[in-house]
Amino acid sequence: MNRAQKIAWAVVITISAALAVSLVAVGILTWYVGMPRALLGFCFMSLSGFGGLAPLVFKKDPGAAHADERDELFHRRAAIAGFATAYLVFGAACMIPFFVLGPKAMVPVRWLPTIYMGAGLSHYFVYSLTILSQYGWRASDVEN
Amino acid sequence: MSKTEITNQIRRLRFEHGEMTQQQLADKAGVTRQTIIAIEAGKYAPSLPLAFRIARAFGLPLEEVFQYDNQANVPPTQ
Repeated sequence: MNRAQKIAWAVVITISAALAVSLVAVGILTWYVGMPRALLGFCFMSLSGFGGLAPLVFKKDPGAAHADERDELFHRRAAIAGFATAYLVFGAACMIPFFVLGPKAMVPVRWLPTIYMGAGLSHYFVYSLTILSQYGWRASDVEN
Repeated sequence: MSKTEITNQIRRLRFEHGEMTQQQLADKAGVTRQTIIAIEAGKYAPSLPLAFRIARAFGLPLEEVFQYDNQANVPPTQ
């Protein structure tokens, strides 16, 4: 398993764990304080920021070359998939309230950073998943 | 990842060249070992410059290392 795969796994696990903790927190808070204050449970999504530390944790791969044309191709495809997902998430966040609440409803401005963060997280999540799907989910670099 | 239309003799040539390891070939070609593994397994078709670098590492012309599978593009007959 190369460094890019390890970082991708770290990001996927961190974001998934942060999402799971947030949903549990929202569920518990809904019971105690009710909506919409229970949405504060999504503050636990900030735990996904620890995924950003992965490049500091994992050392560079052995060998003279650390990245080549194949790695660049995989990262380019992953970036496209990530940006496409972020665009869809942002588009959905803009259009779903429009269709559900109607054109005369108003959305608080404080939701905008949340939408931006959601789009960013979805970008990194899909980016990492795409990296893993291209390299493979497991270590398969056995010498033969 | 699906197999490419490019076949190669890298595995055989490595062993004929003093049991060269994948890492040694990777260092000579300036790529990672995973890329050599993927090319050997036919899971990745290298760019033309990389194909030339790999062929040069063996001291052979390109067509002795890589072959294009013509049959792969022939549509099936009815």
